[in-house]
Amino acid sequence: MNGSIFLRMILALLLASGVAVAAAQQPPCTLTLSGSVADADEKAPLDKAVLFIKELARSTETDAEGHYHFYDLCPGSYTIMITHADCDTLSLRVKIESNLVKNFMLPHHYNQLAAVQVLAGQQSQDLQVRESLSSRDLAESRGQALGEILKRITGVTVLQTGSTIFKPVIHGLHSQRIILINNGVRMEGQQWGSEHAPEIDPYVADRFVVVKGAGAIRYGSDAIGGAVLVEPRPLPLDQQFHAEVNTGYFSNNRQYVANVQLEQNLKSDPAFSWRTHVTFKRGGNARTPDYWLNNTGLSEFNVAAMAAYRKSGYRAELFLSGFSTTLGIFSGSHIGNLTDLQNAIASEKPLQNIDRFSYRIGRPYQQVQHYLAKLRVFWSGSGGHRWQLVIAHQENDRKEYDRALITDRPELSLSIGTSSADLSRETTHSAVRSGGVGLQMLYQQNVWSGSRFFIPNFRNLTIGSYAFERWQLGAYSIEGALRFDYRSLLVFRNRNGMSSSTARHFFNPSSTLSISRKLSENMQLRSNTSLAWRAPQVNELYVNGLHHGTASFEIGDASFRAERSYKQLLQWEYQQDSSWLIDVTVHGNYIVDFINLVPSLPPTLTLRGAYPTFRFAQVDALLYGTDFRIEHQWSASWKGGLKGTLLWARDLSKKDWLQQMPSHRFETQLSYMFATRRLRNGYVSPSLLHVLRQTRVPGGFVDYLPAPSAYTLLNMTLGTELQLGKRDLGVVLGVYNVLNTRYRDYMNRFRYFNDEVGRNLVVQLKWKL
Amino acid sequence: MNLFKQLTGAVLLVAITITACKKPSDANDENEHEAINKMVLTFSRPGSANLVFIAEDPDGDGGQPPSRVDTIRLVAGQTYSANIQFINIVNGVEKDLTPSIVAQGRSHEVFYVPSGVQLTITKTDRDLSGFPIGVSTSWQSGPVALGSVLIKLMHKTGIKGPNDSPDLGHSDLQLPMPLRLN
Repeated sequence: MNGSIFLRMILALLLASGVAVAAAQQPPCTLTLSGSVADADEKAPLDKAVLFIKELARSTETDAEGHYHFYDLCPGSYTIMITHADCDTLSLRVKIESNLVKNFMLPHHYNQLAAVQVLAGQQSQDLQVRESLSSRDLAESRGQALGEILKRITGVTVLQTGSTIFKPVIHGLHSQRIILINNGVRMEGQQWGSEHAPEIDPYVADRFVVVKGAGAIRYGSDAIGGAVLVEPRPLPLDQQFHAEVNTGYFSNNRQYVANVQLEQNLKSDPAFSWRTHVTFKRGGNARTPDYWLNNTGLSEFNVAAMAAYRKSGYRAELFLSGFSTTLGIFSGSHIGNLTDLQNAIASEKPLQNIDRFSYRIGRPYQQVQHYLAKLRVFWSGSGGHRWQLVIAHQENDRKEYDRALITDRPELSLSIGTSSADLSRETTHSAVRSGGVGLQMLYQQNVWSGSRFFIPNFRNLTIGSYAFERWQLGAYSIEGALRFDYRSLLVFRNRNGMSSSTARHFFNPSSTLSISRKLSENMQLRSNTSLAWRAPQVNELYVNGLHHGTASFEIGDASFRAERSYKQLLQWEYQQDSSWLIDVTVHGNYIVDFINLVPSLPPTLTLRGAYPTFRFAQVDALLYGTDFRIEHQWSASWKGGLKGTLLWARDLSKKDWLQQMPSHRFETQLSYMFATRRLRNGYVSPSLLHVLRQTRVPGGFVDYLPAPSAYTLLNMTLGTELQLGKRDLGVVLGVYNVLNTRYRDYMNRFRYFNDEVGRNLVVQLKWKL
Repeated sequence: MNLFKQLTGAVLLVAITITACKKPSDANDENEHEAINKMVLTFSRPGSANLVFIAEDPDGDGGQPPSRVDTIRLVAGQTYSANIQFINIVNGVEKDLTPSIVAQGRSHEVFYVPSGVQLTITKTDRDLSGFPIGVSTSWQSGPVALGSVLIKLMHKTGIKGPNDSPDLGHSDLQLPMPLRLN
């Protein structure tokens, strides 16, 4: 929702309530205005749309079926404003002389189209087990990497490589097992690598949604762990020019970040809107409680531009973005062989460390660029069909610099280009039945160069089609979806001067069934059942090389079959206005032919020394656990919350645990909220995060270092909106790891080498002009 | 669906144009290009022929283990000047990496750690900071014995000092070679 309109409305409401009391001394009025509010595109009823009669300062909200009522109205003409989180605000005059039934249609925001595609309307949203980042969490995490932002959502943890690289993990699965939809387009880079962070500038988005269950089927078949949706906020519609400046400073690595956004809705042609983004970020060496981590700086420069044109019946939008980053990798982690690794582990402090601050980034480091161009066209066809076409092209260039033995060139350079076209059609058949079909195509080419082979060149063509249907049956909502995918993977290799190519073809169906039942006014039960598959990725099939970060030799297996996942989620949700929220999700994921990296003998012998060898192997796995969130607000000033993410991950073939799975974690938060004339929406909020020691580790594999101990972190945040003249300055102050606790995390691949970062003082400012 | 055909046709055309400059079919050779997979140790002593000992792993990291690791055989109670060469072989083509390592002397050091034999090894070359490199050395052999010497090439950009431990930095090469003093 447009925040400023909403705030202004609340203010107007408060002011006008006094006027309304005065105006109430009029002759008795008995007329009723009622009707429904629906989405103009979907014709689906909109719940929680706010209707506001300007003259009377009275408002009401639509119920789940989109119905509203105003009772006891006097005859006359009124201005009615209708607002909804996902739609444009509608304002119109209504003349009332007798009881009147009036139905309204609200058009979607231009950019909400993505949400439309994803959610296929409000009903679908009700069916899915999903969670989005709150606006407060968003404000507090500005300037951080995407993975760090997402870990604020229950059920999401993070796989880290040092202090600079973060990958989101949903219910224990990550990398190619979750899909990332960036502004309606499936993100395609080298996501197979556990040290390859998603190339997304989080400033471009203001909506981060994690789909934990079956809802992900529309994006592709690989999402056996879930999907992450990253959406920008809607473009402006007020025929004005706006600017926003965001800045942040992080004391730990002396990182500063600045983001400037300009946007406009043209006065001369209100159908046209545009926005541009520029983000710059630079940080130096991070510091643990005891020492600096040499070569852990980063720099990032991103630009994005979007434009949309809307006429009745169709909309078109163009999105262009460029992302460029250089990430330093802790020099103490880059080791030559097993002996180096054992020496590094045996040492209390990192061995190869220059213990001082610097912004300089030397070898080893990664340099990654990602470009995206997207055109989205949306139109209403005959027969109530709503069509959408998304055409996109992405280029991802990744250069990995290990160390300079001879040249300045990167040891590994990977360049992948992806073109995609998605066409979908959605139809509302009746008030209780709707559905849609879609066709997706993706074509991809990967080329490597450098002196260190890791994955081969390939061409990948994927064609997918899906259909879904939704029914509303009393208290039940039901959605069924089917999907078929064909993938061909053509791989080109050159070994000892001999070129060869091999093709693999995969053909698999996926399906989901979602049922939601309203148990009472405040209670809802959801069930998502899915059967999904994931074709083995090129690294799992063909990898054959050295991973310097872990001093291990990885070997793939070209004969792998696709993974099949049977996932069941159950969510029970209780919400009583703003005073109580309880959300408990239980999940189980049985994966047949789960591709797992397992240690194998003998070690690989080279002139550089010995390396432990890891081979990809297929096992049957069962992952299960629960996410929960309880929030309670005692008064206008006090609020508290507890959330937890618990996970168990079994290797059924070996009757053992799976390695590198997040341990249980709990977080509790207390907030004191305040407001004065100059400070609005203020809060002070201490929180405690407790992460248990991972005791469920495979017994057969002796880890170089046992899983680190449990730890507890104290964090503190303070946020408010300061009124400076007519402008609002958003201020967030945060202190993370307040007690400068020394700890290591099992999910950080550098836990062998160094402690996690220490205290970090963060200042974030947001200025709207 | 006619519209759909036209649009997807256009997409494929754009895709092919954009990615045309990439040729996955023209694949790069997978053998590691800049790794050391051959090492040559040459010993000389006035009035005697040069002694050459070799270790090699022609298919690089992974694949087969090193195919040849010689036993270093020296005469007891003598002084030798020794030279080490680091070589990369890809598909039978040899490339000497030693000059580059010496040129980047401030980032590298070679260590020789004897065990079971009495050997005094002195580094006779210096980098630009005046710290030892260890490509050229002098070996003084003790009494008759059988043992080994661990040869390590350590990479340590920014952290090299005059008297480093053989464990500092990361290993570009680590190879134990049997050694006999006759």
